[in-house]
Amino acid sequence: MSKLTRFEVASTTLGGQVSQFLRNYYIYFVLIAIVVFLSLTNLDRYELFERGNFLYERNIINILRVSAPILVLAGAFTLLMVSGYIDLSVGSTMGLSAVIYAMLAINGVPFLAAFAITTLCGVLLGTFNGLLVVRFKITPVIATLITLSLFKGIALLLVMDGVSAIKSMGDLKMPSWFNAYGREGVLLGLPMAFWVAVIVTITLVVLQNRSLLGKYAAATGGNPTAAKLSGINTSKVVFVLYAIVGACAALAGIARSSFMSLGDPLSGDGMELTAILVVLIGGTAFSGGEGRVLRSFVGALIIMTITLGMLTLVPAYYQTLVLGAVLLGAAASNHWISRKDHAS
Amino acid sequence: MTTQQQPPVLSIEGIIKDYPGVRAVNDVSFSVESSTVHCLIGENGAGKSTLIKMITGALLPSQGNMKINGAPYAPTSTQNARENGVATLFQELHVVDELSVLENLTLGMEQSRFGFLIKSDLEERVIQTLASIEPSINPAARVSSLSVAQKQIIEIARAASSGASVIIMDEPTASLSEREVERLFTVIRKLRSQGVTVIYISHKLDEIIALGDTVTVLRDGKHIVTKPLSEVSGRPELIDMMIGRCVFESYTPRNNLSEEVILSAKGLSNNMLKNVSFEIKKGEIVGFYGLVGAGKTEIARALFGADEVAGSIVFKGEKVGGSPKEAIAAGIALVPEERRTQGLFTNLTIRENIPVMNLRRMSNNGIFRADAELSAATHYIDQLRIATSSIEKHTEKLSGGNQQKVVLAKCLFSKASLLLLDEPTRGVDVGAKTEIYDIIRNLADEGNSVAVFSSELEEVLGICDRIFLLYTGSLESEIINGPDVDINDILNIVTGGNRGVTA
Repeated sequence: MSKLTRFEVASTTLGGQVSQFLRNYYIYFVLIAIVVFLSLTNLDRYELFERGNFLYERNIINILRVSAPILVLAGAFTLLMVSGYIDLSVGSTMGLSAVIYAMLAINGVPFLAAFAITTLCGVLLGTFNGLLVVRFKITPVIATLITLSLFKGIALLLVMDGVSAIKSMGDLKMPSWFNAYGREGVLLGLPMAFWVAVIVTITLVVLQNRSLLGKYAAATGGNPTAAKLSGINTSKVVFVLYAIVGACAALAGIARSSFMSLGDPLSGDGMELTAILVVLIGGTAFSGGEGRVLRSFVGALIIMTITLGMLTLVPAYYQTLVLGAVLLGAAASNHWISRKDHAS
Repeated sequence: MTTQQQPPVLSIEGIIKDYPGVRAVNDVSFSVESSTVHCLIGENGAGKSTLIKMITGALLPSQGNMKINGAPYAPTSTQNARENGVATLFQELHVVDELSVLENLTLGMEQSRFGFLIKSDLEERVIQTLASIEPSINPAARVSSLSVAQKQIIEIARAASSGASVIIMDEPTASLSEREVERLFTVIRKLRSQGVTVIYISHKLDEIIALGDTVTVLRDGKHIVTKPLSEVSGRPELIDMMIGRCVFESYTPRNNLSEEVILSAKGLSNNMLKNVSFEIKKGEIVGFYGLVGAGKTEIARALFGADEVAGSIVFKGEKVGGSPKEAIAAGIALVPEERRTQGLFTNLTIRENIPVMNLRRMSNNGIFRADAELSAATHYIDQLRIATSSIEKHTEKLSGGNQQKVVLAKCLFSKASLLLLDEPTRGVDVGAKTEIYDIIRNLADEGNSVAVFSSELEEVLGICDRIFLLYTGSLESEIINGPDVDINDILNIVTGGNRGVTA
């Protein structure tokens, strides 16, 4: 027995540890670096930022208010990507939810009821996606491209009569709570929409770390065959995740429409790209199996800070280009870190 | 080890499996006693894999019964087999790299309340099982940081802790180093002492002798013998039982062999190959024979430039091996082992498949000539006697033999003068086999060279002029084919007999 050589134990080399550390925490350093950069920059000339200092309370509140939609969506989107699937229809789900929510509000439905009904609609839309993917075996990208178009079409039909969005007009007035949800500070000066995003994220973090769903999502994305051979109903896992993403997209729609005081069917356009950007920055693997809810939350903060910070530093038409460059950098460093990981 | 009172843990009774035209498993009956290591051996095509697939529920037998501990057993899926206590260790690993060792071990068996994981004795039990098998693996480690051998042990531990009474291992040592093999054997012996039965399939006879309690030999789908290894005198007896007869297709020495060397490979080495050197002459059929994992496919891919390899390959005075494009241009064509996935465009028709390697020949300054394609396809269907109702038939609908002929036609059309054929008759019925051998001989007679990479001894002995014997990535020996070739000697070499006994 003692003569037998032992297997090589898991890498404990310095390189391995460094890359592990980088993989786990680099996202926080990136956020800190960006905040430091912006606070050292003179922002005097720009109306968005007050008092010429980024670290002024109002500025931070502003950024967090605007970020509420992506913050509430990022976690659920991460879990879906971890399971190896994707939802491109989140923007349309957002738009449709925004319209439904605004219609309910303008017709006198009380806040909690409107909120619950809209979220439920999101669950149904997500369930429909899940059905296409799991039951009818349509490739996720195709299935959710289909619903991207379908959902947006329904939203446009709902507003139809000559206006571009549901808003206060003539006798029909939006109730005061409609706007307050996304804008008025309730705690630490931050509005409900932000705190809902925080609560959702905490719930998803717990779900990812402590529930069967979280673990099965990782198994499904990491090695579907192994997951099935272990007796996991991977279809059910994916189905539930689509429903959760639908619900969170609806919450994002509520936050966005409340911030803008109108129910705009196009208010979620491009959200799928932002969401992908955010989870990739957060280190989620496109191939599935890998990714953390909390890191995506931080990723969302980074993207929003860069976007808004950029508004002040470069002309608006550079924004998309810069975001693309940031994503390229994130993808490259991700690749580099994982290669380091394998080499060690 | 064997206890006569209790029923055998697994008994196979008159199992038959028919495929169109082939009876892969023919009336096999034997029993596996509890707490033993039961080895299953046989040549390629003897029916081992088919039999195992039926035991694990991946295939349904055409006829016959199985029993587990005396109770009827008819698994409908691998999942179902697991529930009956039969777990399988597949050649490809089924672990989730992204999860920890512990998470992998409990995957699918977790205790939960309202969907949330709760602490249970399961984790404790699983950790103990793992510790009793292989204490050096840290349960908290991520699986992606483990070696292949360690991942394999994770799978074994999972099978053991899920309460499996029979664990089937199909060539588990194929990708392990010698040290790791020893470690695996220790694990298997531990399992046996804990009351687990292991069905062990391997080509490496030394492993069988070192590890097994009982051996079952299959040949041509039939059950030859099941007997305790203590009654087996040694390797020669096992080889005799596996071969049994000498009805090889007779090899007729070919006279018109030229001495002109058209390909010479020197010192080919990569992660699989160890300093392999050889020459191929014009008009010659050479065989590369070895077991699974001996490096046959790797040599073929290296010659074709599909894999990176150190060393030099010179073909007709030019250096090749850089890329498939270079190889095709120089006149080398590869018929890959997996013809469905690598050799054919199964979604295209016969007509569209044949010219695909040399579309330039089909075009005038970039304009595609449909008539040329049609005449080429008709020509090869005729020449190779491809049995099809129409030239427009999609290749996925053809039989294995005809598919292989289409792949051959593809290579012929590319004007290759060296054909690399990797397992050219795998999954091909006997009639088509003979036809393919005729095609190969004709090609060689016309002055082309052919290299056949095969794990079927009959095949290389039937058609090849010279045979290279491979064992775990190195070229062990070269023999000239002829009437007085010693088959036992060949089998001894390719099963590692040249190396001195390991375990």
